[in-house]
Formats: sequence, structure tokens, C-alpha cells
Amino acid sequence: MRTLRTLPALFSLGFASATAYRAEFVVWALTSTLPLIMLPLWHAVAAEAPLAGFSESRFTAYFLTGFVVRQLVGNWASWTINFEVKSGALSQRLLRPIHPLWFYATESLASIPLRSVLALPVAIVAIALADPTHVARDPLHWAMVLPAVLGAWAIGFFAHVAIGALSLWMHQSIKVVDLWYAGFFVLSGYLIPIAVFPAWLQPLPRWLPFEYVHGFPIDLLTGAMSPARALERLGAQWTWVAILGLLALGLWHRGLRRYGAFGG
Amino acid sequence: MRERELVRAVDGVSFAIAPGERVGFLGPNGAGKTTTLKMLAGLLYPSAGRVRVAGHVPQRREAAYLDQIMLVMGQKQQLVWDLPPADTFELNRAVYRVSRADFTARVGELSELLELGDLVKKPTRELSLGERMKCELVAALIHRPKVLFLDEPTIGLDVSTQVKVREFIRDYNARHGATLVLTSHYMDDVAALCPRVIVIDQGRLTFDGALDALVREVRPEKRLTLRLRGAIDEEVLRSLGALIERTEERVVLQVPQDALSAAVSRALAAFDVLDLTVEAAPLEEVMSELFARGRAAREGRADAADAADAADAKEPSE
Amino acid sequence: MIARHLAVLGASLRLSFLLAMQYRWDFVLDGVMSIAWTAGAIVPLYLVFEDRAAIAGWTYGEALLVMGWFTLLDGLLKGAINPSLVTVIEQIRNGTLDFVLLKPADAQFLVSTARVHPWRLLSLGASLAIFVYAFRLLGAWPSPGAVLYALATLGAGVLVLYSVWILVISVAFRVVRIDNLRYLFETVFEAGRWPSTVYKGALSIVFTFVIPLALMTTYPAEALLGALEVERFVAGWLGALAFAGLARLVWSRSIAAYTSASS
Repeated sequence: MRTLRTLPALFSLGFASATAYRAEFVVWALTSTLPLIMLPLWHAVAAEAPLAGFSESRFTAYFLTGFVVRQLVGNWASWTINFEVKSGALSQRLLRPIHPLWFYATESLASIPLRSVLALPVAIVAIALADPTHVARDPLHWAMVLPAVLGAWAIGFFAHVAIGALSLWMHQSIKVVDLWYAGFFVLSGYLIPIAVFPAWLQPLPRWLPFEYVHGFPIDLLTGAMSPARALERLGAQWTWVAILGLLALGLWHRGLRRYGAFGG
Repeated sequence: MRERELVRAVDGVSFAIAPGERVGFLGPNGAGKTTTLKMLAGLLYPSAGRVRVAGHVPQRREAAYLDQIMLVMGQKQQLVWDLPPADTFELNRAVYRVSRADFTARVGELSELLELGDLVKKPTRELSLGERMKCELVAALIHRPKVLFLDEPTIGLDVSTQVKVREFIRDYNARHGATLVLTSHYMDDVAALCPRVIVIDQGRLTFDGALDALVREVRPEKRLTLRLRGAIDEEVLRSLGALIERTEERVVLQVPQDALSAAVSRALAAFDVLDLTVEAAPLEEVMSELFARGRAAREGRADAADAADAADAKEPSE
Repeated sequence: MIARHLAVLGASLRLSFLLAMQYRWDFVLDGVMSIAWTAGAIVPLYLVFEDRAAIAGWTYGEALLVMGWFTLLDGLLKGAINPSLVTVIEQIRNGTLDFVLLKPADAQFLVSTARVHPWRLLSLGASLAIFVYAFRLLGAWPSPGAVLYALATLGAGVLVLYSVWILVISVAFRVVRIDNLRYLFETVFEAGRWPSTVYKGALSIVFTFVIPLALMTTYPAEALLGALEVERFVAGWLGALAFAGLARLVWSRSIAAYTSASS
């Protein structure tokens, strides 16, 4: 109950800090334009003939939608946790009567309004440029957008917390975050749409969490699969949310016990 | 270029320091002490006026100048956090082109004076604040600077380390004839290290001279503390000097210098004195009085400026 | 003066190496990651060229040469250039840059050599592997002259890369909050992976003149293939020198602004 009552305050704190550092914020957002830099290559390819069903306009729609998704589901809790472990700020946070994970979660969620402001123009351009076949039209698709985006955010968040919790053992776990992102860049559809993968490689991403953070919401928004198939993948996504959630909480609590025993 | 607001941190400060002198900058927070120090070191450019140190214009930061000076800041460190101080020393050896033999001898000597022992081989992050400051001093002195700028060198240190650092700095000055320019919040630093003080208040130089002269000027009175027994004639007591503190048996009086001996003999004659001490007012108190006067003078000046446009109002004499 | 700077360079490298040994595992991971990363970066190329023989006028082997130069420069950027940048921004924030400015050596030199991540330089080896792979696909090895010509071209590219980085630091002087500017530059730099003919319209102008990625990776690859005319080589060098001059100018102005504004 107490946590629930504090949430609005936590949200406004997160929103305020996002606004205060807006210059940095814009730069971060621009940093996630990496996929857009891939776009010219794909265009050069698709200019001659479509690749695995991807025409020039479909590539455009895919990567612009990807940019928007990235703005909505971005997470950086592992860096915050690493910083707080190193600086000792975590000890103070533990004295508060609210679970620290709520703080990390709201910090990320509260920045979404500002991120949306950045994403909105891109979304509009995406819709204007893409030919209408690349926007989901089935209401069933749109009904699934909210849970899918939330699920994508949650997978990222729990992965970040799990990795951040490792810093309670390893002193710092920044490099492990890099490892996560290496997997993410290649296997989530961030740089290469999964559909373009050779057939023998296609099943791999389906069994890993990365695609559900990025490729799946894009496919949903661009209407690239049947509603039945989408529902199936939504189920898989939330299974990953549950798995990573349990992992994150487990690691966090064990890590804290160790942190308490050895000090920061 | 974007416009910058011009803030007069220092204005009309003019002084000369002889080689080998030890000078302390005093002033309340934000008075312009550090700004002046940084100007001397060459880190800040004066927008008008002239600064010369050891025959150089500091702001040009010529190698020949920089080879002769060093800045030590109590709140900032140049030691690499994750490496032992010895490795930073090596880097400075390369930067200042100190020969291997000189380097070994100097580091040995400095570490011994500061009782560092093997600490210089431990990663800096594992050292205490005091140990770090001592290592900072070693790093700063490897090239034997002739001019040493010290910005709050003892800030945050425990009392015994403060004393140690002071002694060390004093000793360095005595051995190598280096000029010391120091700012500090701790009056003890200044009292122990600097025969001469320069007071900067609100960016203006308000005093330049010997420390005792400053004390005499601001607070010519001495402080007479008496422990008394038996009946006390309040009338007599008040006639001795200004009463500062009065408890059952302890009395603190402020007495002008020239009336002091008379006051002492009268007190001894009139009361049953258990104990008697005479001392100058504490330095901290002298300083706060000085700064309070500075404020009052400025406010007075502002009033005068209201009455008539007193653009060239004279500094009120203290 | 030169002797002093060489000595400083030696001492800085030693310090960097000692630091690298402090967090050994991090740096080994760094090395492994950058190799994995290089391999991963070839995947899109491989996938694309499986479908067709040439894209925007480049065959698979030729495009790999661009990738090879990119990998080399990327190693240089992340191993030698960025670590110093991070150090400097930290120093600006802590106010310890004052110590650097008071050292009797060129401040730009001190700042540029502050830190190296030795393990990152492993990707230089990765780039060599890419070159070998590419030339085996192409079926012909380059002449020593072509290699020299390519290296001379690369020199101009490195100079531009370094200058851009000095410009980034200069901005950091003014606006310390934007310390993630380097990530933005890293992201833009990624565009150097592909041959510059891939970029059309405005982007092609940006990557040739504003942030001359073409000069960094495509020109040296063309030089290896014997397809870079002398005119473009000379123009590239002139551009690089202009860039370096501009960077030095902006740098010294930023230092002047820094020393007159801070306290």
C-alpha cells in the first residue's frame, strides 16, 4: 500500500530528472538511430530486387518503427545499479521503505513521455512514408500492442536488473551489459530483420529473449503476421518476462544478502 | 560565441611577493582567494591588469614557467585513482624531465619526511584522505617547484595530519627557499605557515601585512580570563574592561593593550584571584570581525552612494 | 621539447597498461567482444551478398575491404581515442583538468595521450584477418605499392577521425552535461562500414564533406583496389589538413574560454 502511494511521487521525480538532463536525453535518443544508419545499405540492396520479401518501403517502415519501439522500451537500470553499488548510494536507497526496484522501474517509465515526444515525429514520418500495407490494420493487432510493448519493456528491465545485481558480486558488471547488447543487436532484429536471416538461422532468435524486446513489437505494429501467430508470440514474450523476472528478483535478493555481509 | 556575464571575482587587488616568502590569502567564502590563486598559476586570465610570476606572464603557460610552479588543491587530486601513487610520480617525472637519480632521491626524501613508507605502492583508492594528501604533495614536489600554490591543502584532514602537513610545507620552504602562496579556511594553517597575510574580501584587497599587525589592528584588545573566589565588587569588575563572559567564578574581560597591566594589578588587588590568563582573541574571531566590518563598510558605502553619487568613495579606514 | 613529449607518451602508455592490468577481466572481455563484434558485423554483408553478386557497384570481396579498414579504425577509435576522451571529460567534471593545463607540455598532446585501452587494439588483428579473407575471395593480392598508397590514404582518414574527436572534446569543454556525445559520434561512425556509394542524396554529401567517412574507409579500400585517382587522394589530404587546422583552432578557443570562465 505504501509503495502504491509513493509511486506518483517517484514518477514525477523520474520525469523531472529526465527533463533536467534533456540535452543528454536527446543525444541518447539520437544514439538509437543506429538502425537508421543500416537503412541505406538495405535500400541499396532492395533497389535492385526485394530481399526476403523486404522492399525498400518495407525496410523503411521496419526501421522507423524500430526507432519508435526503442524509444518506448529503453532501459538503463543496470548502469544505475552499477553506479550506485560503486558509489555506495545503494546503501542509502536500501534504508528507504520502498523496494529499490520500484525506483529503477519508475525512473525508466517516467521518461517515456519525453521519449514519446521524440518518437512521435518519426512515427508520423513512418506512417506517411510507408505504404499502407506496412501498418497494422487489424484491430486485434492493435489490441495486442499495449501488452506487447509492456512485455518488451519488462524483459529489458528484468535483464538489466539481473545484470545489475551481478555487480553486487563482481564489483562491476558493465561488461556483461555489453554482452547482452551484443546479443540484442544481432538477434533481436535491431540491425537485421529476423526475416532476412537465412532459413537455417531463423529458429534461433525464436528461442532467445532478444527478439521479444524489439522484433516482435515491430512485426505487430507493421502487421507482418497473422493475429493468431501474434498471440502465440505474445505468450512466448510473457513467458520470458516471467523467467527473467524470477531470475532478476532471485539474483537481486541473493546479491543484497552478500552486499550486506561484505559491505559496499 | 555566446555572451558571458562578466563577474568581478577580483577587482583592484595589487601586491608583490618576494622569492621565498610565505603568504596566506584570507577571506570569507567566495571572496576571490581561489580566483586570485588560479590567476597567479595561469589558469585564469585577468580581464584587465597585469600578473607576473617569476618573470613570466602566467596565462601564457610557457613550459619555462610551468616547470617552476605547482598547484596543490586540497579538494582535487591528480593521482590516478586506480593505480598506486608511485605510478603517477613516474608520469610526472616524464612530464617535468627529472633525471632518474634525482627522482629516486627526491621521492625517497619526501616519502621519508611524510612517513609514507610503502603506501606509495598501494592503489590510491585504498589510501585514507590524509595519506592521499601526503602523496599529492610528493607528486607535486618531484620537480622541486620554486613557487608552490596551495589551495586549502589541509581541508578535511584530522588534526594530527594537518600539523604534519603544515610542518612539511614549512620545511620545504626552509630547505629550498620556495615561495609559498596559500589559501585556507583553517586559521591555524595561516598562523603556522604565513608571516604575511593578504586579506581579500568581496574581490578587494582589504589588508596586506604581518599577521600580528592584522590582529592588533582589528582587535587591539587582549582577553583577560580570571577565576575568582569570594565576594565580587561588580562595579570594580566593570571598570576593568568590557565583560564578555560571566559565570559564578569565571570572568572573561576584553581589555585594551595599553590598559592591560593596570587592569591586572587592580584585579589582583581587588579580588581573590585563583587563576589569571591573558591571551589575544582567537584568530577565527578576529577574522569574522574583520569580515563583518567589511560588510558593514560596504553597506555604509551603499548608503552614501544613495545620498550622493560617491563613485570614488574612499575605503573606510579600519 | 620533442624529447619531453616522447617521454610523456611513454609514461602515459605505461600507465594505461598498468590500469588495464588492474581490471584484467574487463579488458579481456573487451578484446573478446570486439572480435565477436567484428564477426557479427560481417553477417549482414554475408546475408546480403548471398542473394546477389554486387551492391552499389561493390562485390562481396570489395565491400569486405571497406569493412577491414572500418574495423581497424574502430579499434583505433575505441582503443586509443575514446579512452582519452572519457578521461578528459571526467577531468573537466572534477575540475582536475587544471592539473593538466599546468603541466609544461602541450595540453592537446597530454589530453590526446591520456589513456589507451590496449586490449581494444586487438581488433587491429581482426582487421588483418578480414583483409586476408577478402583478398582470397578476390583471388588477387595487392601490390606493395597499392598497400602503401592505401596506408597513405588511411593517414588522412586517421587525421580526420582524430580531429573530429578533438572537436567533440571542445564541445565538452563548453557543455559538460553532454558527455554522451561520444556515443552519438560512435553511432554515426558505424555508417563507415559500408562503401560510400551505398549512401544517396543528402547522406552521401554529409559522409563525404561534413563527417568524411568516405575518406576514412572507402578511399583506402579503393586505393587497395587501384581505383583511387590521385586527384581524390590529394583532395582527401587537403580536406584532412583543413579539418585538423579547424580542430586545433576550436580547441585553443575552448581552452581560452574554459580558463577565463571557470573558477
